[in-house]
Amino acid sequence: MAKLPVSTEKIIEDFGPHLNYSPKEGYPGRDEPDKTVKTHCCFCGMQCGIQLTVKDNKVVGFEPWMEFPFNEGRLCPKGVQRYLQNNHPDRLLHPIKRVEGKGFEKMSWDDAMDKTVSEIKRIQEKYGKHAFSMLSGVSLTNEKSYLVGKFARVALKTRNLDYNGRLCMVSAGAGNKKAFGLDRASNNYSDLEYAEVIIVAGANISETFPTLTHWIWKARDRGAKLIVVDPRVIPLARTADIHLDVRPGTDSALYGAMLKYLVDHDMLNHDFIDNHTSGFQETIDAVKDYTLEWAEEITGISKEKIKAAAELWGKAKTSFLLHARGIEHHSKGVDNVVGCINLVLATGRIGKPYCGYGTITGQGNGQGGREHGHKCDQLPGNRDIENPEHRKYISEVWGIDEKDMPGKGLTAYEIIEAIHRDEIKGLISICFNPLVSLPNNNYVRSALEKLEFYVCIDFFLNETARHADIVLAGSLQEEEEGTTTSAEGRVIRIRQAVTPPGEARTDTSILLEIADRLGEKDKFTYQNSEEIFNELRVASKGGTADYFGITYKKVEDHMGVFWPCPTEDHPGTPRLWADRKFKTPDGKAHFNPAPYKLPGEVTDEEYPITLTTGRVVSQYLSGTQTRRIGKLVDQFPEPMLEIHPEMAQKYNIQQRELVKVSTRRGEGIFPANIVETIRKDTVFIPYHWPGKKSANQLTPGTLDPISKIPEFKVCACKLEPLGEIENSSEKSNAYASV
Amino acid sequence: MKERTFNTKALLIATAASVFMVVLVFYGSRKLQNFDAALVTYLFGTLFAFFGVVYRYTVWLQRPPTWMYFKRGINFLFTGKVFSHLWFLTKESVENIAFQKFIYPRGKYRWIAHFCIAIGCFSAFAITFPLTFGWIHFTLAPNSISVYEAHFFGFKVMDFELDSIMAFLTFHALNWSSYLVIIGSLYYLRRRLTNPGLIATQTFEGDLLPLLLLIAISVTGLCLTYSYQFMKGFAYDFLAVIHAVTVIMFLIWIPFGKFFHIIQRPAQIGAHIYKKEGMKKGIAICKETGKPFATQLHIDDLKIVTKQLGFDFSDDEGNSHLDLSPEGKRDRLAKAHLKARLEGGNLFG
Amino acid sequence: MNIANYNKNEEFFVDLQRCIGCKACEMACAECETNGQESMIHVNYVEREVTIQTTVQVCMHCEDPVCANVCPADAISQDEFGVVHTANTERCIGCSNCVMACPFGVPKKMEEYDLMMKCNMCYDRTSVGKKPMCATVCPSGALFYGTRAQIEEMRPNSTPVNSFLFGKERVNTKVNIMMPKGSTELRIF
Repeated sequence: MAKLPVSTEKIIEDFGPHLNYSPKEGYPGRDEPDKTVKTHCCFCGMQCGIQLTVKDNKVVGFEPWMEFPFNEGRLCPKGVQRYLQNNHPDRLLHPIKRVEGKGFEKMSWDDAMDKTVSEIKRIQEKYGKHAFSMLSGVSLTNEKSYLVGKFARVALKTRNLDYNGRLCMVSAGAGNKKAFGLDRASNNYSDLEYAEVIIVAGANISETFPTLTHWIWKARDRGAKLIVVDPRVIPLARTADIHLDVRPGTDSALYGAMLKYLVDHDMLNHDFIDNHTSGFQETIDAVKDYTLEWAEEITGISKEKIKAAAELWGKAKTSFLLHARGIEHHSKGVDNVVGCINLVLATGRIGKPYCGYGTITGQGNGQGGREHGHKCDQLPGNRDIENPEHRKYISEVWGIDEKDMPGKGLTAYEIIEAIHRDEIKGLISICFNPLVSLPNNNYVRSALEKLEFYVCIDFFLNETARHADIVLAGSLQEEEEGTTTSAEGRVIRIRQAVTPPGEARTDTSILLEIADRLGEKDKFTYQNSEEIFNELRVASKGGTADYFGITYKKVEDHMGVFWPCPTEDHPGTPRLWADRKFKTPDGKAHFNPAPYKLPGEVTDEEYPITLTTGRVVSQYLSGTQTRRIGKLVDQFPEPMLEIHPEMAQKYNIQQRELVKVSTRRGEGIFPANIVETIRKDTVFIPYHWPGKKSANQLTPGTLDPISKIPEFKVCACKLEPLGEIENSSEKSNAYASV
Repeated sequence: MKERTFNTKALLIATAASVFMVVLVFYGSRKLQNFDAALVTYLFGTLFAFFGVVYRYTVWLQRPPTWMYFKRGINFLFTGKVFSHLWFLTKESVENIAFQKFIYPRGKYRWIAHFCIAIGCFSAFAITFPLTFGWIHFTLAPNSISVYEAHFFGFKVMDFELDSIMAFLTFHALNWSSYLVIIGSLYYLRRRLTNPGLIATQTFEGDLLPLLLLIAISVTGLCLTYSYQFMKGFAYDFLAVIHAVTVIMFLIWIPFGKFFHIIQRPAQIGAHIYKKEGMKKGIAICKETGKPFATQLHIDDLKIVTKQLGFDFSDDEGNSHLDLSPEGKRDRLAKAHLKARLEGGNLFG
Repeated sequence: MNIANYNKNEEFFVDLQRCIGCKACEMACAECETNGQESMIHVNYVEREVTIQTTVQVCMHCEDPVCANVCPADAISQDEFGVVHTANTERCIGCSNCVMACPFGVPKKMEEYDLMMKCNMCYDRTSVGKKPMCATVCPSGALFYGTRAQIEEMRPNSTPVNSFLFGKERVNTKVNIMMPKGSTELRIF
């Protein structure tokens, strides 16, 4: 059903991506705005404070928010340009429907709702409740994330709900739950300030969390040593004290070898290990053969550097370890994460001032969004959908019979596989663009084409939504009230700066109406976002992610509150584990063995080169938003293949020569960027672009067995120079590639 | 900047030019017989403005960079294909002076408004200066009560019926000019009062006063017309004095304030010729980036001009910082900083 | 000019080695009201093939600005605070003398407008006591605007330097570059 109704070119002509630039002297009224709204950036997990200026119910500009403690006015290029969305020409202003041969045409809300609900009912009657699935995303506020979870289980009654956090930090979440019994960065970033050693592992902070750079630099000004683990010399690594240029897919070998070094040289905190942890012995047993020489062989990092890093880490009195997608996007993402945590636990440097650990959550509400139940196995408060007590509690909060609560469903990529198997026939999606962000996206496309009915809620017609039968015009972050939780675990207020333009509606009101028409009105009676949040507070009460003591007023008064916050008079918890009471069943922090395993795909004669993927500073995720903002596109007009001069010479590749990159799943053509700042055996392509310029045509669908995260960061490819130098990026039109 | 306050050469040239102008006025008005005595205050104002403009222009030309451009411009114009140069000059004058095309990309409305003011001012100058100097005057044709004759420098140039369209246009030309000037000036006044960037950087005497003067001149001028046409001369004398005061302030302000750009603008064409001719003589390649960045003539001239101004960007080996493109200079600075940091033992500090 | 609230105690400090090349400053510069959506700051890779080092360059606001000296049209002025202002639009004839003479490579010739434009330290903001846009948003501290006491407290290992040597010419500037502790000048060549 859901093949494109007309050519991609025609859809792009009608719905973009088009590039939006501010008018020459700014939007009219910018000088004398009606109001200046203190809110947060809609992009990454830093959730920088920003003030949006509004004139005549349109966002017309921004003003730095100097008082917000995390960023004090600092922003990245995406943040500076984020105001160009609400007034964007591509903005969907009313529901649209697919019309074969014509594209998408306007329809009334009533018709859109009728059709959506009748299709949901038809599919569920014919194929069963779980044949209708839902995909969500964590750029949504806490309120919307919670609502989606409840909507899917109570109104749709499907178990097959998952979210794009699956492509983000689930490995970290799983690793943290194994080690600490709770999934949150252990410290807020002010604990970086006096850390003596900082390890940044697989986190391109300067490009993906630019404003966090300030805190790292601040620590270095106080004398901190910086160790960066990355196959590329990322901006942070250029001046770092030690750069560990790890071969993609070998991270756990590095952390294993470092752990062995700590053990061999007795750089351990025995008191902490003995009294507050478990699993130490089997964990060090797993790495007993991991000598520096072995690690050098596996990881490609010289043993001297590994030793130097282990020495620094071992001897430090205070430290902070940060990691992100670079170690998490692997078929052993959880192993990599626990490998890092083992290093932290071995030294006992956690739960104390300037002793920190944490994953840097990628998406805007990657932290809050992953706690409140729009994940296939989870209920609000980071509860387990298979735990009878948890099911019972949430069923009571929701006013349903525990027996009606669906069980654990499929994860995002598994949903795609289930569509291929004809188990899933219908899909509703919000805040997710899997056609760009999921791996192996040719396979994703053919799945979308098999769906009997697909309805999408979005503010722009993203690449995936082009396959929809109906697209419901939803709301941007600045068009609805709510809260998010930043990567530090700080719950903050997102304010409605403007109401949705045209006939577009808030995401919440759309979900509420569908729930109503599905006959569940009595369970969805919220008057505003705050009422949803208040229900979320109750639902999270007693869970590990306890928000019960957090109110809108408290968040506003204190510019954020750190969860857990169990009671209204509780000040929140900026630093976890000060009490050494871990949330695991035995109350101890767990060491977990992380033996080295090969990645899901290794290089061979046919595909001899390692391909890794990542991001650039001016784009965010699948680019639904940022590929529509002129200056952000101009900054990185297209994805380029980063390749080392030695490899370029071997293949006789020239600067900006077009190179065909192929893997077992697909191929793409990218201009070469020959740089010495990458490993000699690895090539890199950033992934934000669609169609023929998508790096995810190449990436594999290998999943981590625990977190089900896809292995974006390593696969095998081959290169074929095409002999054609493409000096201009204009022709590729990558931002709107078909 | 090192600029002298008193400039003898300029004083002499300005005085000579002013004396020449007085002579022209004397003979142009047929020994003052066509001179309108009522305009004598305007005459003195105009003469003073003329003196000021020439003085300021001469001072300006003496500055090394200006003189370099002036010298090169004149030189280019009269060597080689003179007709081709003149054609280029004409084309550029129409585009840049008459139509101010470079303003259009800065903003459509900015261009329209500026064009209104420019047309208004030029037509007003074209009418009032010769009238003031007694170079044009109108008389009834002999043996007629309805045909007017226009004279320039005492020579008859045209005649027209009193109730013809031509007559209407001619006698009301100043009114049309006034409307155009008011429209344009109001646009700019509004812009200057609302645009925060302008508010921060403008000065009253440099930016707002000129606009207020233009509006005042135009409004009082129009009032004079309406006073005698529709209001039987109500407050005519008062208006006449106010009009005269504003006009004379405007005239005196020309050499010192914003309006000097009218006189200065042709230099832009000089810069264009300089670039065009320079291109023929070779392009400078940046020693840092290896990319072409300017004409070699420009770089060579700048080396001379900067020396004249007291700057020396060269070392003993004859390397000059001016041989680098802007990007090359920034690269050099970054590299020098990197080197200094490395020598300091820490890249980060 | 609005000068009532210009904070004379605050200064501009640049450290190129802290720059992460994110171009937040470039985007933010275009939001400054004095240059209407045009960015005046320069961020470039130095030699991308070997390093990800970037150059970041704001106007240094020289004590005796070469740009103003070589301007044939007297279009560039310096105010009482030492801020060197962008070209006066009615005077500038677009000759590019300033562009080619500036030792820091700062002024930009806007070909379309036949006009030079440059950084004027966000005069719309600094003149009312705010910080320039670029230094406000800079996430890495490569650009910092604040008091000397603040920078000394924040960066104990560095010294601000505002004297630069280009061959025989010494150029003193209002803007400082952070150098190894104890440095007094930076020699470019």
